[in-house]
Amino acid sequence: MTFSNRHEDLVLAAQRGDPMALGELMESLLPYVGRICGPIALQDGPDAAQEAMIKILRGIRTLDNPAALLGWVRVIAVREAIRVASASTNARTAPLDEPPAPGDPELAVDIADTLARLTPRHRAVLVLRDIEGLDEREASQILSVEPGTVRSRLFRARSSFRKAWNHD
Amino acid sequence: MTDNWPAADLDPVRRLRVLAASLRFPVYFTEIVLPVPLAQVWAVASDLERELPRCLPTVRDARIIRADGERLELLANGTLGQRARFDVVLRPGWCLMRSRFVLGAMAAVPEAGGTRFASLGGFRLPGMRLAGPLLTLAGDRAMRAFTAHPALTRSAAAPPE
Repeated sequence: MTFSNRHEDLVLAAQRGDPMALGELMESLLPYVGRICGPIALQDGPDAAQEAMIKILRGIRTLDNPAALLGWVRVIAVREAIRVASASTNARTAPLDEPPAPGDPELAVDIADTLARLTPRHRAVLVLRDIEGLDEREASQILSVEPGTVRSRLFRARSSFRKAWNHD
Repeated sequence: MTDNWPAADLDPVRRLRVLAASLRFPVYFTEIVLPVPLAQVWAVASDLERELPRCLPTVRDARIIRADGERLELLANGTLGQRARFDVVLRPGWCLMRSRFVLGAMAAVPEAGGTRFASLGGFRLPGMRLAGPLLTLAGDRAMRAFTAHPALTRSAAAPPE
């Protein structure tokens, strides 16, 4: 998703409290927020996206530079997804070194199954590095951890995926 | 690889919850489950020209004066002679309408046993924080009138054989 002039207009109108602009901004940002919250919060993804969108729309007045919108949204979405997923009783995951159940032919199902075996914080590292394309330093700032922690979480998350792909 | 990763979405009712929680002025917001299918609910809800005067006692008539896809312009005349022009976004399961002083919205999604229907209303006027009870009264009354529509009752859901 890229920032556009339309985003800038919507942010300025939403900051003035225009409800139509708030609605349009929500619809425009939802695909992006959903792509972040989905893989981190899994079955709690809609709850996480809902909480993230409320934080985003409530906080839009505090966004000084509209051009910084997407980076600001990303931070909120990642943190809300981790919070909601961690608070959910569904956040209990199997140990990382346990291979996924074999044999589901559907790639998407395999991905969801493998993601479900990671903790929300490991999934967040995967999203930031592999979907958002951030480097370790940028990911560590969003997650408020050391770059080395990002590196080790990424290593464990990726090896879990490798085990899933190689498992027959 | 990441093309197949799960993405989260918000249905229209969840979107309306977000809006209700984000607005800076007090709003009436409520959700109910109606015992009829979504298409039946939305056929009634989206008929703004008929339903606004039926559900809101202060509206004498409402007329759509311009339509461009899902964007409409609606002119409402009040029982006291007041007029209001509304910008409207209307599509299946979602309606958002705003005049200079009033905001109204509806959303609906299918749910086991029928349809979850959410409604939001508020006045964008200074001092409306003090008018919360009035807003609740008006909102409850509008919702009662809406759900009393013959097409939305249990008997409409399962007509006798």
